[in-house]
Amino acid sequence: MRNLVNFILKNIYWLLFSFLALFSFYLLIHSNEFQRSKYLSVFQEIAGKVYWVSNSVESYMNLKTINSDLIQRIAVLEQEVKDYKKEVEILSEQVFPMDVHKYEHTYSNPFSFIPAQVVNNQISRMGNNYITLNRGTLAGLKEDMGVLSPNGIVGVVISVSTHFAKVIPILNPNYQPSCKIKGSDYFGTLSWDGKDSRYISLKELPQHADFNIGDTIVTSGFSTIFPEGVLVGTVEDTFKKKGENYNSLKVKLFTNFSALSEVLVVVNALKEEQLNIEKGESDE
Amino acid sequence: MNKTAIQRFLFFILLVLLQIWLFNNIHLFGVATSFVYLDFTLKLPVKMNRNTALMLSALMGLIIDLFGSTLGLNMSVMVIIGFLRFYLLKLFAPRDVYEDYVPSFKTLGTFMFMRYVGTITLIHVTILHLLESFTLFDPVKLMLRILSSFILTFLLICAIESINIKGFKK
Repeated sequence: MRNLVNFILKNIYWLLFSFLALFSFYLLIHSNEFQRSKYLSVFQEIAGKVYWVSNSVESYMNLKTINSDLIQRIAVLEQEVKDYKKEVEILSEQVFPMDVHKYEHTYSNPFSFIPAQVVNNQISRMGNNYITLNRGTLAGLKEDMGVLSPNGIVGVVISVSTHFAKVIPILNPNYQPSCKIKGSDYFGTLSWDGKDSRYISLKELPQHADFNIGDTIVTSGFSTIFPEGVLVGTVEDTFKKKGENYNSLKVKLFTNFSALSEVLVVVNALKEEQLNIEKGESDE
Repeated sequence: MNKTAIQRFLFFILLVLLQIWLFNNIHLFGVATSFVYLDFTLKLPVKMNRNTALMLSALMGLIIDLFGSTLGLNMSVMVIIGFLRFYLLKLFAPRDVYEDYVPSFKTLGTFMFMRYVGTITLIHVTILHLLESFTLFDPVKLMLRILSSFILTFLLICAIESINIKGFKK
């Protein structure tokens, strides 16, 4: 017994080192699970506050680019609204006089949006990128909600605290949403290679799928996270590895991840209902 | 708590804030990242209990990790650095030193101190990038990252040290 105590006292430096090393490697290997844990969400609240300080300075510097982006976006939307108004006028003359709009609003379009600001954005590090938003459970955010920028897709909320939310962006190899070429129904998975934050690859696209350089890539809408047709990017190049039966596309992203500030969080009102029926449980 | 302990605590907080607010966001040419928080371990007194030094070093890594994105990455590296520090100091620092002897340009001499900083920085940057490249492996880019991050971190730590010297002379 005394020998054991002596041994421990003698080698405490090595033992301490081994213990700390094992602990940190354990954290490293399981880091993705810990990101979702409750203990971390307490710290996330503190980290969010600390980043909020630096961000309140930074956001002023980005105002100019954000403004011009928003103005462009408004212009596009106004044009769309005009087109739709015209279409509605034409249609309402044809369709029988019934109040269809209210019906459509709740049932065919269950998506609404919560605006939020980015407080911490560490894109450009190899691999594991995360984004922090300044809205949490108080604003109605939950896990697995989609996040969009004014220009296109950003990512998915993976954990929320009271005032902050952590988002896993598409620029993280651990998140691979399914996307398709606009106008066709062929879909593939998006995945990032960790090199350039302006480009992403669309992989596992069937060989027989038709596409042209310059085609638009949109979300497939198969998940309950994003509505169908959220803009992702345009096809820039194509490459195929030997022996693979799938095409891969190099996609230029619409979202500018290095200057991300204002985002929208997607709320799907019918999500739980859909998930329940997919699980095979009734809604009651 | 005596005065030096408080100073060390403030230095700890300063380095954490500098790292997470400033240096985590700087990626020179898309490859070079600086890790100035390493300076905390470098500046621990030679005579400090090695177990305490190891724990403090690990704590620094853990806090940087909690603010950053990869849990355990910086901590793993800082545990290894905190462990090796004891043996490296045997190589670089003189045997008989007074209680609060801290490695610096002034105490070790410019050349010796730069060798001390350079060795630890190189080990740190190499291990960190090797661990990080588990997910995405690209040898050329990896070498480039290690080399450029090493140079940047080394220069920044030397710069912080030279500010320290001027501060002490006043």
